[in-house]
Formats: sequence, C-alpha cells, structure tokens
Amino acid sequence: MKLLEHEARALFEKYGIPHPRGFLIRSPGELQERIGELGERCVLKAQVDVGGRGKAGGILVADRATAEKKAAELFEREIKGVPVREILAVEYLEIRQEFYASIAIDRSTKQALILFTDQGGVDIETLAKERPDAVRKASLPLLMHDIPPFMVRDLLQSAPKEIGKILNQLYRVFCEKDALLAEINPLVVTPEGVYAADAKLIIDDNALARQGITVNRDLTEREREAEKHGFSYVELTGDIGVIGNGAGLTMATLDLIEYYEGRAANFLDVGGGADQERVMHAVRLVAADPSVRVIVVNLLGGITRCDEVAKGIISAGISQPVILRLAGTNEAEGRKILDGCGYRMMESMEQAVKAAVEAVR
Amino acid sequence: MIYGGKTTGVIVTGATGKQGAFHIALMNEYARQVGGKGVVAGVTPGKAGQEVAGVPVYNSIRDALKEHDAEASVLFVPGFAAGDSIMEAASAGLSLVVAITEHIPVHDTMRAISYASIHGCSVIGPNCPGLLSPGEIKMGIMPVHLSSPGQVGVISRSGTLTYEIVDQLTRAGLGQSTIVGIGGDPVIGQTFADVLHRFEQDDRTKAVVILGEVGGSLEEEGAKATDLPVAAYIAGISAPPEKRMGHAGAIIEGGEGDARSKIARLEKIGVPVASRPSEIPRLIKELL
Repeated sequence: MKLLEHEARALFEKYGIPHPRGFLIRSPGELQERIGELGERCVLKAQVDVGGRGKAGGILVADRATAEKKAAELFEREIKGVPVREILAVEYLEIRQEFYASIAIDRSTKQALILFTDQGGVDIETLAKERPDAVRKASLPLLMHDIPPFMVRDLLQSAPKEIGKILNQLYRVFCEKDALLAEINPLVVTPEGVYAADAKLIIDDNALARQGITVNRDLTEREREAEKHGFSYVELTGDIGVIGNGAGLTMATLDLIEYYEGRAANFLDVGGGADQERVMHAVRLVAADPSVRVIVVNLLGGITRCDEVAKGIISAGISQPVILRLAGTNEAEGRKILDGCGYRMMESMEQAVKAAVEAVR
Repeated sequence: MIYGGKTTGVIVTGATGKQGAFHIALMNEYARQVGGKGVVAGVTPGKAGQEVAGVPVYNSIRDALKEHDAEASVLFVPGFAAGDSIMEAASAGLSLVVAITEHIPVHDTMRAISYASIHGCSVIGPNCPGLLSPGEIKMGIMPVHLSSPGQVGVISRSGTLTYEIVDQLTRAGLGQSTIVGIGGDPVIGQTFADVLHRFEQDDRTKAVVILGEVGGSLEEEGAKATDLPVAAYIAGISAPPEKRMGHAGAIIEGGEGDARSKIARLEKIGVPVASRPSEIPRLIKELL
C-alpha cells in the first residue's frame, strides 16, 4: 500500500531523516494561523496518490501574502481526477543541489537494491533508460544490519558525506516498515544542510497487519469487499465477468477473452477450495457490476467439487447468463444440476471463452 | 527427477493444520503408488507425539531428523511463520525447502532465502504448488491424475495454469519429466534459471515449457541462460499496469514487466511463445 507523502515524511522523521519545516492543513484557514512558521515563502503540496503530481498542478509556490488564497485554489482542484482534501505546507528551500535516493526490492538478486544519482528530481525510470551510467546501484542482502561504508562511498562518490547517514536511516525505514520501496526524490542540499524534500513509502500488502495497518487504501470498495471473502479481484472496463481459480489460470482466461476480441469486466481469483458458499459470493460480486453482461467461470483443480460449484452458482440467483468450464471431481453431478437450470457447461476454457464473447457480440 | 526422487525423505512443517494433514495423505498415497519413501515425519512446535495421516509429529526438524532420514521439507505453515520455518530447515541441514505458503511478507522471504543459501539449501516458492516428478515423487499439492511420465520439463509461476498445461501435454501424448511451480511472489527462491540449470543435468528432460506472467524479468533471464529447447506462455497480456493480478508478484511496475515486452524479448532470443495455452503442445512437438 502506498503511503501519502505526509505519512511517509512522519515515518522518515522518526528515523532521523531531516526534512523541511512544515505541517498538514485541511483548510486554507489552518494555513493562515501557522504561516509564521514557514518564513517568507512556502510550498503547498496536495496530498494525493498520483504520479507526476507537480506537473499535474498539485504543487504550488506561494509567498506569505498569497499563501491562503493559493491554498484555497489548490483545495478546489482535482489532481488527475483526485480531489485535494489535505495539503502539506512546507518552507521554501534554497536548493543548491538535488539528489535521488531509493531502496527497493530486486527480484533478480533477491536482495535490496539501493539507487543513487546526482540527477535528483527526475523520473528515475526514464533516467535509468536514457543515461544508465548516471544511476549508481548497490545490492544489499537483508541479513545486513546496515549499508557497509565501501558501498556508501561507491554510491555517493563526490556527493556530501552526510548523505551516507541518510542512506542508512532510509535503509532502517525500509527494513523495519516492510517496505517494497522507500524513496527520497529529491534529496536536496541547501546552505543550511541536506533535506528530504519528498518522501515515498510503499508497504508490502502481506505485512500490513504487523505494520498496524487495517485498511488497504489502494483497493476500490468492491476490491476490498472481495478481499474480505479471500478473493483477488481487479476491476476492468469490459462487459464479460470472469471467475477463475488460481491467478495464472484467471489471467490466461482474460487473455483468451482479448484473443477472441472480447473485453473482460474484471479479474476474480476465488483461490483454493471453491465450495458452494465461496462460489455464490464470487458470482454475486461479479454480477453486481452493472457493466457485466455474461460471466465465464473457469475452475480447474484436483479437489474442486463440481456439484458444490454448481449449487453455488444457482444459489447466487443472478440475472446474467453464466458459461462454465469445470474440471474436478463429481463432474457429472455438477453438469446435471446446471443443465436443469439452463446454464451452459463447456469442455475447455477456450470453448467457454468463445461462447461468452459470442454471447455479448 | 531433479530435486528428489523415490529415495528422498520428506518432512512436512505445519503438519497438524488442515492443509498439512490433507496433503501428507495425498503425498504418501502417491509415494505408495510409485514405491517411493514419501513423507517420513511431520513437524509442528508443541505437538510432538501426535500422529497425522499415519506420520509421527515432532516439535522441531532437528528432533525429527534424530529418528528419520530426510533431505527435504514441505511447508504448510501460515505466512507470518514461514520465513522462520525455511531457516529452521536450512539450519538443520536439509538441502531443499518447498514453501507452499502464500502471503509471506517479502522481507521475510528475502532474509530466509539469503540464510538458506548460506547453508546450501535451495528454496522452491513461496506461494507455489510445489513439484511433481511423475513416477518418482510429489512434494506439494499438484494433482497427479493429469500428469504422465515423459521428457518435457515444466516450470511455472502459477498453480492451476500449470495443471491446465500439464493436462494438455498429457492429452497430446507428451509426458513430463518434472513439473516445478516456482511461485507467484515477487521474490522466490529457485528461479526459471535455477530450474533450467537442473534440467540441463537431467538426462530425461529434452524440452522445457516456461509458464510465466507479468512482473519482473525472470522468464527472459532464465531462457537466455540455457541451451535446452524452450517454449513459453506468458499470462497477463490483458493485465492493466500497477495492478496486482492475484499473485503478489504479478504486477507491471514503472513500465516494466508487461507481457508484450516479455514476449518480444523471449522471441528475440529464439524462444517460441504461445499466444494461447492450447498452442503449447504443438510448440513442444516442434522442439523435440
């Protein structure tokens, strides 16, 4: 789950990472009360979870006289469709130099990957593609307690030495907060010192509970509802509802829909042990999306009981047609139950998908 | 047979849970069919002295090894405990851990894999169906009735999609040497490259199916590093960016790891890629 800047900044602060003075406001009035803390000029940053926030108009520079008006203006805006409810107001910094620092998960080495460059403030993925030499990298096994000094020297080269301390503080945040990504972009040098002028932290969804996070904000309401039942669900934009067991098989079902020039409305993986009740909830959840006109159910497994699945589909009592591919035990019983109620059971996933695409054409 | 066979002894960690007990019985049913050793012991801390599906339970892997010979463990413990169980197995001297468990925090996985590698222990998974060498051994939860012994190796990030492909291979008369589910998490122990390397040393395996999906670049890295004939299918061509498609690792991030660029990179190094799962048997026949 992505944290908002002000949340990540508060965590970074606990680990000693310096940041510009500032505070969170929920109305322009709150800014006016505390404007004295920020000096002559300030930066107003919309707390919205969108990439390219600055370019989309989510960051404004203001002086003391105009700050309240500008804050009001920002609260009125939508940044890439997201309304602005909170603004982080910080002091304006005299920037001499900008760096980029991040720590992420590297699938290939199975270690932490530290990235550092003196081209701060840029889009790191673009920079890595266009000028790979400008981005310095180091891999660190998570068994290491801190970043060894040689690695810090290799990463920093001529950058100010105090950044080494910040890298180690960032590594501590990364480890203790179960981060998939901990990023400071830009990390700035001013006449007064080095500051994290932005803060980004993505927490591993599988570690939210032990990090004390109870609601995953990255999910839509229907996705959260699905999570309660133990389903993986992703909303898409087509009209064919999809239910499968196993992420790979469900993805392959979506891909087949696209191959036959149909459009899937969702991805729903019911997970293991698709019994009557789970199937019923899954079917109801998918059918509740008004754009769904037909549902494909593709279940394959040694222990999936087809009669249970059939009963689950019937007890869901939905209006859209359901086309099935079931492979497991008690196939004949399942087929008998479904045939009696007008549902179609196909021999392969390909046939089921083809039939569904034809049904909405 | 690449990670074990009839003579391999297996310890199941998390034996007394519902999943553990159920799958010990299935693994041992298969072991009896093929004349293999199968699961010799179960481990659940605090449950020593119990018996599950005819197998004695111990408090620790070390205790189990005092009474039984075993080389591998299969984990059915919950996510928060799985990293610990991997390290326990490695520390006790087992050479292989098959981690079925889903929802392990990725930091736990990374630490456990680093620790296991120091002890010379390979980890398959986490978040995987395990492996099956038809006629030899089953370590995990794959249904055996779809498989048949033969010359095709299968490596997959998925569970049920693997069964789908194995079923199609079997129907086409293409038996399998070993089927390995390497797991759907972003960080996994044995990668495509590692398993391909084992297949290279296996006389029985003549061609390999790679079943990949969106996220990362392990498929390309593996295919690049082998001389074996390989065919692939990549799931997720319709997956939107920045959305996790069921598996924790199935996500297109920062414009990286999408299906089309993966397929393009595989084709560039000469790997035929199926546009539908049903094309796999034909592609494999052309390679044999």
